[in-house]
Amino acid sequence: MTQPLLEVQDLHTVFSTKDGLVKAVDGVSFELNPGETLGIVGESGCGKSVTALSIMRLQRPGRIVGGKVMFKGQDMTRISEYEMREIRGREIAMIFQDPMTSLNPVYRVGWQVAEPTRLHHGWDAKRALASAVNMLGRVGIPSAAARARDYPHQFSGGMRQRVMIAMGLTTTPQVLIADEPTTALDVTIQAQILDLLRHVNREFGTATILITHNLGVVAGMCQRLMVMYAGKIVEAGPTADVFANPKHPYTWSLLRSIPRLDAERHEPLKPIEGLPPNLVDLPNGCAFHPRCVFRVERCQRDVPSLLQVGDTQRAACWVTQAGTELKGA
Amino acid sequence: MIGPSRVAELDMPAAGIETGAARPAQSYWNESWERLRANRIGIAAGLLIVLFALIAIMAPLFSFALTHYQPQTINLDETFIRPGLRHLLGTDELGRDTLTRLIWGARVSLGVAFLTVAMSLSVGTTVGMVAGYYGGWTDDVLMRLVDTVLAIPAIFLFILMSILFRPNAFTLAAIVASVGWGSVARLVRGEVLSVKQRDFILATRSIGARDARLMVRHLLPNVLPVLIVAASLGVGQIILIEAALDFLGLGIQPPTPSWGNMLTNAQSYFFRSGFLVAFPGLTIFVTVLASNIFGNAVRDAFDPRLKS
Repeated sequence: MTQPLLEVQDLHTVFSTKDGLVKAVDGVSFELNPGETLGIVGESGCGKSVTALSIMRLQRPGRIVGGKVMFKGQDMTRISEYEMREIRGREIAMIFQDPMTSLNPVYRVGWQVAEPTRLHHGWDAKRALASAVNMLGRVGIPSAAARARDYPHQFSGGMRQRVMIAMGLTTTPQVLIADEPTTALDVTIQAQILDLLRHVNREFGTATILITHNLGVVAGMCQRLMVMYAGKIVEAGPTADVFANPKHPYTWSLLRSIPRLDAERHEPLKPIEGLPPNLVDLPNGCAFHPRCVFRVERCQRDVPSLLQVGDTQRAACWVTQAGTELKGA
Repeated sequence: MIGPSRVAELDMPAAGIETGAARPAQSYWNESWERLRANRIGIAAGLLIVLFALIAIMAPLFSFALTHYQPQTINLDETFIRPGLRHLLGTDELGRDTLTRLIWGARVSLGVAFLTVAMSLSVGTTVGMVAGYYGGWTDDVLMRLVDTVLAIPAIFLFILMSILFRPNAFTLAAIVASVGWGSVARLVRGEVLSVKQRDFILATRSIGARDARLMVRHLLPNVLPVLIVAASLGVGQIILIEAALDFLGLGIQPPTPSWGNMLTNAQSYFFRSGFLVAFPGLTIFVTVLASNIFGNAVRDAFDPRLKS
């Protein structure tokens, strides 16, 4: 059994709003093994991004109110801001959703890609820039030396995302957190960026947390998958198993709502009825029960916890934990 | 983990269609500068301000080489002389050369204006940036302070201050800036609030940058356009305020010449010699007009909010 690289234990992050306390991350636990790619999937507002930001302690204005984030033997929720800054960008790098706004418009791209090594390794401008240019070339930016002198607005979205990835890799971090890295890009560029992330994972051995709402992305990228709903993990397991045999009705419904090439012709897509719950005012019991087609009486009363269901998966569902198979019209 | 030696063999998926075409790197600053340069009237106005500033700096040289008079030299034999060859812009009731006094007055008027703008900009930027960046109670405290400062009736403050201190260029600038920084702080705070929402601030935090670095290296350059605009529009305003204070006797005191107190002096002799009113008035008018035209040109060129 390998030692996990990053271990999140019962993490709770809340936001104070004028309508009340929002539990954006509500008891999330998972581990990330060296070199693996872990997918976190869920609808908008289910807490995926906040989970990622909380790992980096960038969740402001939210507050981490419980749990641990263990990395290299220390709990990152407890170390000083100074120690945290040493980890950010050096050991754990992050890529954001919108590459159009993730780069500072007033600085040349090379300068920005060089910034992490200047901050963390204390490299001088020349050395840092040389390594930045090298990295830009490695992530597939043609004539990188010339392009490093350009400004962000001279790059397309896909190229900027490559720049962001290059910026993350200059310090050869152990963990790369990619928060919806392809959501803002068009489909062909998405495929290129995912290809690049796969290469990075393979060649650099960087463990990756890939956050997405796109199940197709997860299928091609991740060994393991976590599905989040209303701040909680509702299902976790190896990607292939979860896709073949989902153990939570939410995952089951998600999979039926996307088109598949191998599906029967003319079979209509089945959207999930209803809307994600209001995080200030969650329903009693399982947060998914108002939208769930399998719900039983107990779902409205008690909150299920994430337990082993089947050989490889875990699910937080009373129905599947009782042994019922998810099948239906 | 791979070593650099294997870089060449790495088969990273290359980007698709686009390549780095050979066009010059156009930064925001280059672009803005180009736009400003294209505005001829704006540039002319700017050059006029620069010219006045140079004349003010070199006032001793001018009064030695050009006008041959000192600003405070009294000659009771040559009072109320009309503009002519001996006195290019005439003399006042004490026979002092008007052109010389205007040139020396420019030191005060422009000096106070630039000093005031510099002071209110540095204080206002610092306060606005800290308030906008940290938010929360820091923001509340600082912005209530700004509200308080902006609620002070400036003219009474000026009267009080000029009673307490004998105004010279420096104290006058400090007094005007003591209320002027408030609006700059508001402006900067608003801009910081909008810039800090952008993902690159989060991205920069995610690479481990300190707050100070974020503010100085990343926020400040993005706020700079509005500062440049505020500064260039501010100069004209301050010249007017300073002239008004001098005129009311709250600013620079005679016999030190300033454009404002020359006007005060002239109003007593308005019917003896209209030139005494006309020349300082015209100087103030032209300078303020030029500052405003230049300020507008700068805004057209630099203000990111005006860009389509």
